[in-house]
Amino acid sequence: MSTSNLAAQFQADFDPNSQEFSLAGVIRPHSADEIATSLSMLREAIDNVRGVLYINVKRLVQMNNTAFHAFARVLLDACRVRSDLRFVVVTSSVVGWTERMFGHLNRIEPQVTVEVYDSKFYPGQSFVENTSFIPILRTQTKMTWRHERTILPRHGMRPGMAMADICCGIGDFALLVRKEFQPGRIVALDHSRASLAYARDVAAGFGIADIEYTYGDASEMLLEDNQFDFVTCRHSLQIFNQPDVLLKELYRICKPGGRVYITNEKNSHCLGEPRSKSIQWTYNEVAKLFSHFEMDVELGPKSRRYLADAGFDDILVESFMVTNLDGDPQDFADVITAWENVYAGEMAVKRGDPPEFIERFRQGFRDHIFAALHPKGYAGWPIWAASGRKPL
Amino acid sequence: MNLAEKEPVEAAFEPLLQFEMEMGAFLSDWQHCDQVSSFMARMISHNRTDPVRHSNFFSSALNELLEVSFRGGSPDGQIGCAVYRQGAKERVKLTFPCPPGQRQFYREAVSKTRRGNAYARYLDAISTDLAPSRDVVLLELAINFDADIRLEESDPPSITLVVDLPLEGIVS
Ligand SMILES: C[S@@+](CC[C@H](N)C(=O)[O-])C[C@H]1O[C@@H](n2cnc3c(N)ncnc32)[C@H](O)[C@@H]1O
Repeated sequence: MSTSNLAAQFQADFDPNSQEFSLAGVIRPHSADEIATSLSMLREAIDNVRGVLYINVKRLVQMNNTAFHAFARVLLDACRVRSDLRFVVVTSSVVGWTERMFGHLNRIEPQVTVEVYDSKFYPGQSFVENTSFIPILRTQTKMTWRHERTILPRHGMRPGMAMADICCGIGDFALLVRKEFQPGRIVALDHSRASLAYARDVAAGFGIADIEYTYGDASEMLLEDNQFDFVTCRHSLQIFNQPDVLLKELYRICKPGGRVYITNEKNSHCLGEPRSKSIQWTYNEVAKLFSHFEMDVELGPKSRRYLADAGFDDILVESFMVTNLDGDPQDFADVITAWENVYAGEMAVKRGDPPEFIERFRQGFRDHIFAALHPKGYAGWPIWAASGRKPL
Repeated sequence: MNLAEKEPVEAAFEPLLQFEMEMGAFLSDWQHCDQVSSFMARMISHNRTDPVRHSNFFSSALNELLEVSFRGGSPDGQIGCAVYRQGAKERVKLTFPCPPGQRQFYREAVSKTRRGNAYARYLDAISTDLAPSRDVVLLELAINFDADIRLEESDPPSITLVVDLPLEGIVS
């Protein structure tokens, strides 16, 4: 009866190269016998490693006490006979109870320690999760929405759909989609606690309670497979150092026949007249600066390849240009000011750039603003919107 | 505590969801614990600050309680599970038929969760026992989920575990 169901719900693996034993999924056996194979795999792993064995429980969604005790038993017994080994349990801050539960083992045997992998897991994290990013997100969405509200239906957005906005930032896009398209369900996930707090505040201010804002890692989500008709991930594949991993997760949570919609930039293609040279120089430097922190803000035109490699079909790609003529030119200028503050004011400083560089770098942003506000000027920011269908 | 003090506190818990099943049917498949806990968790968490993670935590705790009743329950009668909310707390009331010989066991198990040495006992159980006994599972709920556990014996032969879970505070 339950054994086969149980086996389908979880995976245990050992990778000898990385000396990593991993448990994922839902492990709720009636007795330890039902997980005997995984327990022997752990014992064997212990016999075959030197120095450190990593126990990866990042994707462990549920584990009952019966299973916890059984795995703990193997580890604690091993500690007693193998003083040469250390055990590092790698947990996620998203599934908070794993940190608590496995943390107890350290109280019993100091050889077992717990590491929370997502406290520092991608190079650009400290900038992007910081509150200083909020003005960027706020000003950007205001500009992009004018275009996306007409683009989204072409990519399959329809009322009543179950949708997820992954890497939702401050949640403004989710609010706008909710108003315009009335989805049946909206989950909005991000790993920035600051942005989520902001998002919840804004929603509460509008008396909106049906957007499910959730803290999570987009590359290791708690969300179940095949749940959403429409999955969006905007301006975010480009700032995570492993966009393919993220895309795989978007694919996983999307229903067969559903679509994943992504937007990305090619920052070096931002443009403006007059003062085009200075502007162009700065945005070329923006691309280099991001790539220093392993973020690819040139990803836009690569969307088609990424979607194809991830297994999507019926891929649609289009580009649009946000410009100073879209509405009030000051809105465009506000985006650029927000960029200048973080890119020149924080990221370049962090990279250790000399003041002369930073000054020239800033000048390009100022010139872009100049172009945007100039009575005969033109300023643009190109974006690629792409989507693919998860095959049936 | 006298009744006058107790009543208003109870009244503040708002009922969210209730589930009942013949105990015999419940005991026919171990997967019921997983299925019921996942379903109820999802239903009651939708309007929590972080519904996905609240549901994950709540399901963990509720599943352990259901497993306790599965392992200790007798097939005659009903199992009932009701969830209430008061502010940041959920209250689970789990009622199941309990053989007379087991009542004392539950009384002791519950009172152990309130003693000062609960954590030491829990660590001791992890480091020495082969499998967790039902009283260790209750200890674990008190320790990992900050659960406050009581027993109600108002309607023999059933007993009711009343478990307050302040998960909203832990999750967000
Ligand atoms: C450039 S912002 C875009 C936010 C939003 N989609 C928008 O367009 O306004 C990138 C967002 O991705 C989030 N993010 C990056 N990597 C993530 C990950 N692995 N899991 C969850 N969120 C992540 C960051 O916290 C940040 O809010």
